[in-house]
Amino acid sequence: MSNRIFSVILLPTSDCNVACDYCFERKEPHRLSLALLPLLTRRLLDHLEHEGIEECEIYWQGGEAMIMGPAWFENAGQLMDRAAAAKGRRFTHYLQTNLISYSEAWNEVIRTMFQGSLGTSMDYPNRHRKLFKGGTEAYTRLWTRKLNEALAADIEVGVIAVLHQGSLEEGPERFYSYFTEELGLDNFQVNTPFPGGPASEVEGAFQLDTKELANFLSDLFDIWIERGYDSGVSLGPFDALIDHFTGRPARLPCIWKENCSNQFISVDAKGTVAQCDCWVTSYPESFFGNIFREPDLTRMLRTSPARRDFVERPKRLVEDEDCLSCRYLSICHGGCPVRTYSALGTMMAKDPYCEVYKAVFSRAETHGRTISRRRFMGSPMASVLPNK
Amino acid sequence: MPQEADKPLLFLRAGLEELPCDGPFVVIVRSRDDLNSWLHDSSPALQWIQVEELLADEDAWGVAAQGPGDIPLDVVLSSPGTEFAGLYRLVDVLSARDVRVSMPATRGFLKALRLAASLGIPVRLLPGQPSAEGVGELAAALAFYLHDPMVEAPIEFLHSALAWMRGAQTSSLWTILEEDPAIFQHYDASGRHVVPRTANPYPEQIPRRDFVMRHVANLVNEGAECALCPWQQLCQGYFKWPEPAYSCRGVKDLFSRLKVAADEIGQELAAYEESTPRLTTSSHREQPHL
Repeated sequence: MSNRIFSVILLPTSDCNVACDYCFERKEPHRLSLALLPLLTRRLLDHLEHEGIEECEIYWQGGEAMIMGPAWFENAGQLMDRAAAAKGRRFTHYLQTNLISYSEAWNEVIRTMFQGSLGTSMDYPNRHRKLFKGGTEAYTRLWTRKLNEALAADIEVGVIAVLHQGSLEEGPERFYSYFTEELGLDNFQVNTPFPGGPASEVEGAFQLDTKELANFLSDLFDIWIERGYDSGVSLGPFDALIDHFTGRPARLPCIWKENCSNQFISVDAKGTVAQCDCWVTSYPESFFGNIFREPDLTRMLRTSPARRDFVERPKRLVEDEDCLSCRYLSICHGGCPVRTYSALGTMMAKDPYCEVYKAVFSRAETHGRTISRRRFMGSPMASVLPNK
Repeated sequence: MPQEADKPLLFLRAGLEELPCDGPFVVIVRSRDDLNSWLHDSSPALQWIQVEELLADEDAWGVAAQGPGDIPLDVVLSSPGTEFAGLYRLVDVLSARDVRVSMPATRGFLKALRLAASLGIPVRLLPGQPSAEGVGELAAALAFYLHDPMVEAPIEFLHSALAWMRGAQTSSLWTILEEDPAIFQHYDASGRHVVPRTANPYPEQIPRRDFVMRHVANLVNEGAECALCPWQQLCQGYFKWPEPAYSCRGVKDLFSRLKVAADEIGQELAAYEESTPRLTTSSHREQPHL
C-alpha cells in the first residue's frame, strides 16, 4: 500500500446561513442525501483501492456544513466508516464550519467523528462576515459566543483568518492580540484572499497591495516567533514553514504542494467533482465530471481535460516562468492555481502572491536558522533572536 | 543503491529472451508495458528497474505510484535540459517507492538537477567526459549542491567525492557511478556485455576485476596527467575514458573547489568542537534571563 493520503473536500450542501460579502461560492439549496452517500462512498473506495491508497481524509465543508445537522453527520460518518473498514481502508473526517449553528447537540458527533476538533473562520477586523439580519457586529458577537461554548465543551478549535485591507490597516500586533488574547486561541491560520467566483467584483475592490501584505505577514511572523512559538501557539502556515526550515517533517498548505491535483478533489452535493472547493463552487468550466453519473472516479480523473491543466501546471511553470531558479521552489512549486486563475484568467502562470510568499519564506528561513542554532547549541531563544 | 560485493550486478534490457545470470540484476525498461510487467516481478534478484525514455509518457507512472513499492526505480533522463519538467510525473511514485534520477551532464542538466532536488529525489550525475560548457554547468551544480538549502537528497558523484575529501572510505568514481565492470556489468539489447560508456563488446582477455587498474596503468605509462593528479585515487582515470587524450583541466578545478569546501567544513567542525564547552557554559548562564 502506498503512503499517499488522498483528500476529499466534501460539500454536503452549498447552502449557507450567513451572508459574507466576499464569499466566492455559488449558493444553492441542494443537499447531499444519505440515500446517495453509499454510492459516493463506493466510488471513493474504488478509487482508493485502484490507486493503492489506504487512507482518505474527508474535509466536510460547505456552504455551511452544520446546516445538515448532527444526526445527519452521525449517520454519514458511520455509513462511510463501515464501508471503508470492509475494504481495508480508512476515512478520517474533519469539519470546517462558520459555527453559527453550533449548539451542544453537536458535541457528541464532534467527539466521535471529528476527533473532538473543528475548524472555523473569522477575520480581524470583521468587515465582511455578516448575518442575514444584523451585519458584521452581530455576526462577531454570535460567532464569539459560539466559539466560547465550543471551547467550554473541550472542543479543539482552529480558526482561519482571511486577510483584507482592514487587517493591514489594523496591523499585525492588534491582529495577533485579537486571536491569542481577546479570543484566547492557540491555533489559528492566516489565508490570503482571492477574488474568485460570484464575489469577484466585490473582492476586486479588496485587492491587497502585495508589498503591504508581505510586510504585514513578515511582521506577524516575527511577533509569533517572539511571543507564541515557545508558548505553544500554532500559527499556520508559519508553523509548517518553521518545521521545514528546521529539518522536521512539514505539512505545508495545499497552495504550496508539488502538485495539488495529485492530492485531493472536491465533491459537491450534486456529485460535481473539481479540484477543490474554490473550483467546485465557482468555476463550472473546470469541473472534472460527476461522481454519481460516472462509474469510475479513477478514469474520470485520468481522462478529464479540465484536470489535465492542473496536472500540467507545475511543469508549465518551471518551463515558462522563473520558478525553476527560485530559492524556494521546493516549498512552493508556483503557488495556488485558483488564486492565479481568479486574478489572471489562466492558471498557467505563477501565483500572483509570489513576492508575498518569497517574503514569508525568507522570514521563515531566517527564523528557522536561528531556531536550529538554538537547538544545536542548547541556548535560549532570547539570546539568539535576530535584531529587527 | 545496495550491491553484494562478491557478485557482479548485471544491467539487462527487458525483452532479452534469456537472462544471462542467476545473480542480482537491474532490468532496463523503455516501454510502459515492460515497466508495469517488471513492477510485479517478485524475483529477489531484481535490485531495481532502470527506466529510460518514459518520462514524457504521463500514463506510464500510474502503476509505479501504487503499492507495494519494494522495487526502486532509477529514472534515466537522456536530455535533461529538455526533459526536466517531466520530473513532476514522479511525485506520486515517490510516495510509493524509492526513486533515483540519473542524468548525463549535458547542456541544461542543471534544470533537471534543481527540479529533482526540489522534489527531494536523489540524483546520479553522469559526467562522462564533459565539454567545457558541461564543466561550467558542473561547477554551477557543485555550488548548488554545497550551498542551496533546497538540497536534501544526495547528488552523486558530488556527494561521495565530498565524503572522500572528508576522509571517508569511498570507492572510485567508477564504482560510485556504477561503471566498474568488476562490480557492474552492462549488457546491450542483444545480451552482450559491453565496455563502459561504449557500444563495444567487452574484451574477454581482460579480467573484469582488472579493467580499471589496467586503464590507470596504461594512462600512467603513456604519460597522462593522472600520474601527478591529486584526485587520482578517487578518479582512477574515470575522466580519461573512453578518450584518453581528454584534458582534465576543468574537472580538476571542480575537484579543487570541492576540496576547499571539504576543508572549510573540517575547519568549522573543529572550531565548533573547540568552542562547545564555552557555549554550554554561556547558555546556562543566560537561562535565568528568559
